Amino acid sequence: MSIIEGPGPVADTLAGASAHGIGASVPPADALAKTRGTYPYAADLWAEGLLWAAVLRSPHPSARIVRIDTADARAMPGVRAVITHEDVPGDAMHGRGVADRPVFAQDVVRHHGEPIAAVAADHPDTARLAAAAILVEYEVLDPVTDPEKAFAAEPLHPDGNLIRHIPLSFGDPEAVGEVVVEGLYRVGRQDPAPIGAEAGLAVPRPDGGVELYIASTDPHADRDIAAACFGLEADRVKVVVTGVPGATGDREDSGVQLPLGLLALKTGCPVKFVATREESFLGHAHRHPTLLRYRHHADAEGRLVKVEAQILLDAGAYADASSSALAAAVAFAAGPYVVPHVFVEGWAVRTNNPPSGHVRGEGAMQVCAAYEGQMDKLAAKLGLEPAEVRMRNVLATGDLLPTGQTVTCPAPVGELLKAVRDADLPPLPDGEDESQWLLPGGTSGAGEPGAVRRGVGYALGMVHVLGAEGTDEVSTATVRIHDGRATVICAAVETGQGFTTLARQVVQEVLGVEDVRVLPADTDQPPAGPAARGRHTWVSAGAVERAAKMVRTQLLQPLAAKFGMSVELLSIADGKITSYDGVLSTTVAETLDGKELWATAQCRPHPTDRLDENGQGDAFVGLAFCAIRAVVDVDIELGSVRAVELAVAQDVGRVLNPRQLAARIEAGVTQGLGMALMEDLRAPGGVVKRPNFTGYPLPTALDAPDVRIVKLVEERDVVAPFGAKAVSAVPVVTAPAAVAAAVRAATGRPVNRLPIRPQAAIVKPQV
Amino acid sequence: MSTYAGQAAEHVTLPSSLDEAVEALAAMPSAVPVAGGTDLMAAVNSGLLRPAALVGLGRISEIRGWQYADGAALLGAGLTHARMGRPDFAALIPALAAAARSAGPPQIRNAGTLGGNIATAAPTGDALPVLAALEASVILAGPEGDRELPVSHLLTGMDPLRPGELLAFVRIPLLHAPQTFLKATGRTGPGRAVASVALVVDPARRQVRCSVGAVAPVPLRPLEAEQWVAGLIDWDGERSLAPEACTAFGEYVAAACIPDQPGVELPPAAVQLRRTVAALSRRALGRALA
Repeated sequence: MSIIEGPGPVADTLAGASAHGIGASVPPADALAKTRGTYPYAADLWAEGLLWAAVLRSPHPSARIVRIDTADARAMPGVRAVITHEDVPGDAMHGRGVADRPVFAQDVVRHHGEPIAAVAADHPDTARLAAAAILVEYEVLDPVTDPEKAFAAEPLHPDGNLIRHIPLSFGDPEAVGEVVVEGLYRVGRQDPAPIGAEAGLAVPRPDGGVELYIASTDPHADRDIAAACFGLEADRVKVVVTGVPGATGDREDSGVQLPLGLLALKTGCPVKFVATREESFLGHAHRHPTLLRYRHHADAEGRLVKVEAQILLDAGAYADASSSALAAAVAFAAGPYVVPHVFVEGWAVRTNNPPSGHVRGEGAMQVCAAYEGQMDKLAAKLGLEPAEVRMRNVLATGDLLPTGQTVTCPAPVGELLKAVRDADLPPLPDGEDESQWLLPGGTSGAGEPGAVRRGVGYALGMVHVLGAEGTDEVSTATVRIHDGRATVICAAVETGQGFTTLARQVVQEVLGVEDVRVLPADTDQPPAGPAARGRHTWVSAGAVERAAKMVRTQLLQPLAAKFGMSVELLSIADGKITSYDGVLSTTVAETLDGKELWATAQCRPHPTDRLDENGQGDAFVGLAFCAIRAVVDVDIELGSVRAVELAVAQDVGRVLNPRQLAARIEAGVTQGLGMALMEDLRAPGGVVKRPNFTGYPLPTALDAPDVRIVKLVEERDVVAPFGAKAVSAVPVVTAPAAVAAAVRAATGRPVNRLPIRPQAAIVKPQV
Repeated sequence: MSTYAGQAAEHVTLPSSLDEAVEALAAMPSAVPVAGGTDLMAAVNSGLLRPAALVGLGRISEIRGWQYADGAALLGAGLTHARMGRPDFAALIPALAAAARSAGPPQIRNAGTLGGNIATAAPTGDALPVLAALEASVILAGPEGDRELPVSHLLTGMDPLRPGELLAFVRIPLLHAPQTFLKATGRTGPGRAVASVALVVDPARRQVRCSVGAVAPVPLRPLEAEQWVAGLIDWDGERSLAPEACTAFGEYVAAACIPDQPGVELPPAAVQLRRTVAALSRRALGRALA
C-alpha cells in the first residue's frame, strides 16, 4: 500500500511521473478545443433544411386532460407538424427500468412540465408560438405534493403510489443502547444543472430509420427507448453522441429526444431542439427530496448498538432511478460504521412533484446528511469529540454491511478520518484591515468579525461503485493499432469525467505508443452502458485494457516465436520493442509492417444480488469511502455561511491520473457544497418556482471553499481493473454532511435540513 | 420559405452622441435603448421581449464617465459597475462603489450600467438604495430638452420617463463624510440581495440618511429613525454613538420597513427579514461612525 500525502499530492506526482500512461497527468485531448470554443456541442449542430422543435408542457402538476385541439397550431404558417399522444407509433410508455412514463400525456398530467405535444416549424419562434397556440382543456386536480400523504392518496398512476419499499432488518430488534438520540432530517431538491444547453438534432434516414444526435450519457439505452417509441427495429435508430457539456446525472431528458425523433420521422426533415433553461429545470430528473427519521442507540463509550431509520424518498411522478436510489439509501443508512443491529424502513413514493432520478450519489447523499447529524448528536450527548465518536465505530475490510454483505474491498475509513482530523486547521482571517477579511458575505461585504463564529465538522461517506442489485454491468471496447498509432472504439461517453483520457492512458501503458485516439461514441459500436457510478473507470477502462493486451499479444507473438522467447520477455515503450536482454530491438511500426491489428474485449464484474424481503443480499460490486473535515465561518446574526476549507481524504484504490483525480474531487466537493448551502429547486404545490440561475443559484468561485486533498489512500481493490475506485460521487455524498456538521459546531443549532437556510444558522440573542 | 423574420431586432442604431440618441428615439418611438443589456437581453433571450428596434448606447462616450459640477458629481448613465467599483471612484462615493462591487459576477459588472440599474428598477437593484440615501437626482435628455428630477420620483413612478426620453446623467451631492452600503445574500459569492442598507452621514445638513433595498418594490427611507439618530449625534464633537444606540437604530429602521400588521402576527419569513435589516442597519451605522 502506498500513500500520497502532504500539501501537494498532485504536484509531487506530476514532477516525478512520465508524461503518458497510467499514473501520469495526461491532459484531456479536447481541452484546447473547449477552451477555444471550437468544440462542437449538441446546440451547435446544423443540417440543411432543418426544422425547429418546441414542446408544449403542462402548467399544472396534476390535471385531467379533457381535450387537446391542435387545429390553430397546425394552421399557422411555417408549422410543419404537430404531434400528441395520438402520433406515437410504438410504445406509448417509456422509462429506465420501469416503462411508466408516457411520451406525451394522454388523459392525465402528473407533474408540472410534463410534455403534452410537440411542434416542428421552420423557425424556433414559430415553433414556440405554435406550441402556445395548442389548446388544452384541463380539469385541474389537487396535486399530491407531500410524500407522506402519497400512501393514502388516490393512485396517481396505474402502477400505484408506492414505487418500492425495502424493510431492512439486521440483528436483534430488541437490542437497546445506554444512550439514545433521535432526529428528523430533510434534504431538498438538487438539480444536476448541466451548464451546457440541452439540445439535439434528429435526422431521418432514407431507409425509414432515424439518427439522433444528442448529448446522451447512455446511448444504447436511449436508442432502445427511442426505437420502442418509434415502433422501429433497434438497428434502424442510431444515437450519435455529440459533445456532452458536463453531466452529473442523466443529462438529457427523454421527453425531448422522443418528440424530436417522432417529428423527424413525421416530416421527413432534420429537426433540431434547444431547451431553454426553464425547460431544462422542468424536464430532467432531480435529486430525490428526502425525509429521514433516525434513532441511534449507543453504549456509554459511544459504540453504536442499534440504528433505526425511516427513509422516505419523493420520486416525483415516475419511477426512473428511484428503486436503485432507495436501495443505496437503505443499505448505507448507518454509514461507514459498524453497527450490530440495524432496522430500516425505506420507501420511494410517487407524488406530483418534479421528477427525481439519477444524480451523483443518489440515496447515499441523503442518508449521509442524516446519519452524520446523528453522530454529532451522539457526541454531544456523550460529551465526546465528534471525530472521536466516529473513530470508535469506523468500518473496515471484513466487517458486515447492514445488508449482510461482507466488505471485501479496501475500506480504510479510520485512516481517512485520522488524516482529516490531524490535518492543520486553516488560519483565521489575518491582517490589520478588517474590511479586507474574507468573511461570510464576501470581502468588504456585510460580515462583521464580532458576529462571525468558526465551526469545524466531520463527515464520513460511502457510495457503491457500479450499478447494484444484479445489474449487468458489462462494457465492450475495441482497440486497433496501425502505423504506430492506436485507436480506441468504445461507446462509453465522455461526460467530462475523463474517460477518454483514461482510455488513452491505458492504451499508452499497454502498447507503449503515445499517439492514441478515442473515436466518438455511437450505437453502431457495442454497448458500454451508462456513464454513472464510476462504471467507465471500471468496466470500460477494463475492457480497453483487455483489448489492448490482446493487441499486444498479436503484435508480439510472431516476434517472440521468431526469437524463441515468450511474449512476457518483450517490452514496449515509446514505440520501441525490446527484449529483456536487449538482444532484440525494433519498433512497433516496423513490426506492424503496414498491417492493422484489432481486438475487441469485454469487461464484466462479478454478479450481484437484489436485496431480499429483509433488505439482505450481496448487492454491491465495490464501495468507495471518503472523509471530509469542513471549516466554516458563520455570521450568526445574518445566518450567512462561508465554507473556508474542506479537507478531503479519500479511498481511491489507485491514482490513475493525479490532476484529473484532483479536479474530480474538487468538482464533487463543490457540488456537495451547493447542496449544503444554496441549491434547492422549490416547487410549492408542485409548481416549479424560478427555474433559472437567479432563482436557483450555483456555487461560484467565491462560494467554493479551498478544497484541500490531505490524503489519497491507494489500497488497490483487487477485483477492479488497475485496482482503482471511482472518485467523483463520494465527495458529493460527504461534503454536505460535513458542512452541516461545521455549521452545527459554529452555531449550536441542530441544522437538520439541507440546504442550510440562513435562519437555521442564526443564533438568537439570549434575552 | 421561412416565417423567420430575423431573430435580432430589425433596426439597431448606434448613435455616438446623446443628441443623436434622442433623435433616433424620436424617429422610432417603439425603439428600446440598450446599454449593458444584462437585464434587457436576458428578457429578449427568454422570449419575454421582442423589441422592434434597438438604440445602442455603448458608443456615447459623454455618458460613460463622470465630472464635477457645483459640489456634486455628474455621473454618466453609461458608467459600468466595474468602473464604479474602482478605487478612484470609491474615494468619491464609497457607498455607490460598494454597491457596484457587489452587483454581480465580473461579467455582469463589466457590462451592466448605472443607468440600466435605474431603468430596470428591480427591487434588488443594488445601486438604488444608495441613490435614495444620497438623494440623487437624474437628468433626462428628451426631444423637449433636459429635465432633472429626484431619482425617487422616477423609481416610484411618480414622474416616469416620457416617450423619447433617455436617462443621461445622475447628479450626486459629494458629502465628504462616511457612507456605507451593506447587503445580505446568504452566500459569499455574488447574489441577489435579500436586503440591503445604504447609510450616509451628511454633516453639512446634520443628517443621517438611510435607505433599505430589496424589501419592497422601491428603496424605503425610514425618515423617523433617521431624524431620531441624527438628534443623538454630537455633530460638533466626535460624532460617535453608544452601541446600544446603534442597536436601537437598527430595530427602529427594521420596524419601519417591515411594519407590524395590526391584529396579525408577522410570518416567520418577515420576522427573519426584519432581523436581517436590523443587523444590517446597526452595522452600517456603526461602520459609518467608527
